[in-house]
Amino acid sequence: MTDFVEQCRGEWKRLGVPDPLAEEMAEDLASDLREAEAEGVSAEELLGSSFFDPPSFAATWAAERGIVPTSAVPGHVRHRPLVLVAFTALAAITLIVSALLLATGEPKLSLATTRTSPAGSSRAVVHNVSAATPVEWILLLLALVALAFAVWLWTSSGRRRPTAHA
Amino acid sequence: MHRMASESRRSQLLRGVLDLCLLAVMDEGPAYGYEMTKRLGERGLAIVGEGSIYPLLGRLERDGLVETYRAASNGGPPRKYYRPSSAGRLALALGVSEWRAARDAVDAVLAPVKVEVA
Repeated sequence: MTDFVEQCRGEWKRLGVPDPLAEEMAEDLASDLREAEAEGVSAEELLGSSFFDPPSFAATWAAERGIVPTSAVPGHVRHRPLVLVAFTALAAITLIVSALLLATGEPKLSLATTRTSPAGSSRAVVHNVSAATPVEWILLLLALVALAFAVWLWTSSGRRRPTAHA
Repeated sequence: MHRMASESRRSQLLRGVLDLCLLAVMDEGPAYGYEMTKRLGERGLAIVGEGSIYPLLGRLERDGLVETYRAASNGGPPRKYYRPSSAGRLALALGVSEWRAARDAVDAVLAPVKVEVA
């Protein structure tokens, strides 16, 4: 019984549940378990399947009270915002495309083109010459920055500490 | 196999109305967690296998459907007592009405079924 409550305490501490709230929940739980035990009711009977997974029980309780976000509950599937997924995919595609374009020869896109014709030629032969800052390089740079930003967003949302507001 | 399926169905049925049951038993008089479990058990509603009532009580508290206070219990340590708030009483009334309508509709469908248990 004590072990169950202690495991709950540990989980609440890990989740950042404020000490007074964690202490209140632990005391209530311990008192109920003690009373149940005195009446011949086991902790398993009182808590059902939760008895076998104290961390999940503790996290669910805290989440239902609104003390920690629901995403803190083990097994909770975190739904990433669709916008973040789309942004990451777009950045990755841009990176790959611009890298491929650069790898397959000289840049084929440019911000400006210069038309030149060989001197003394009787027929006007026009060549497109890449400008100094080809679009591929700009896209590559932008894609790298966007990907770095996306990685930061993904990791920061995964590490975000719960905030207590109860 | 049959027993497991039956328990699973019972668990699912109960999950949808357990909050109403809790509000109903605390409406009879303020109660702490284990006390509510006992009141439910006295009516044949054992919570075993359905998880525990604590997260549900937490949700009711978060939603403002219950009021809480701490008081000593029969010489024991102070306990957290729950009672329905005015919003909780309204939710209970609406929920009971919905439950009865759903129960009657299901009964109308299931009533003609002849049950023969071998």
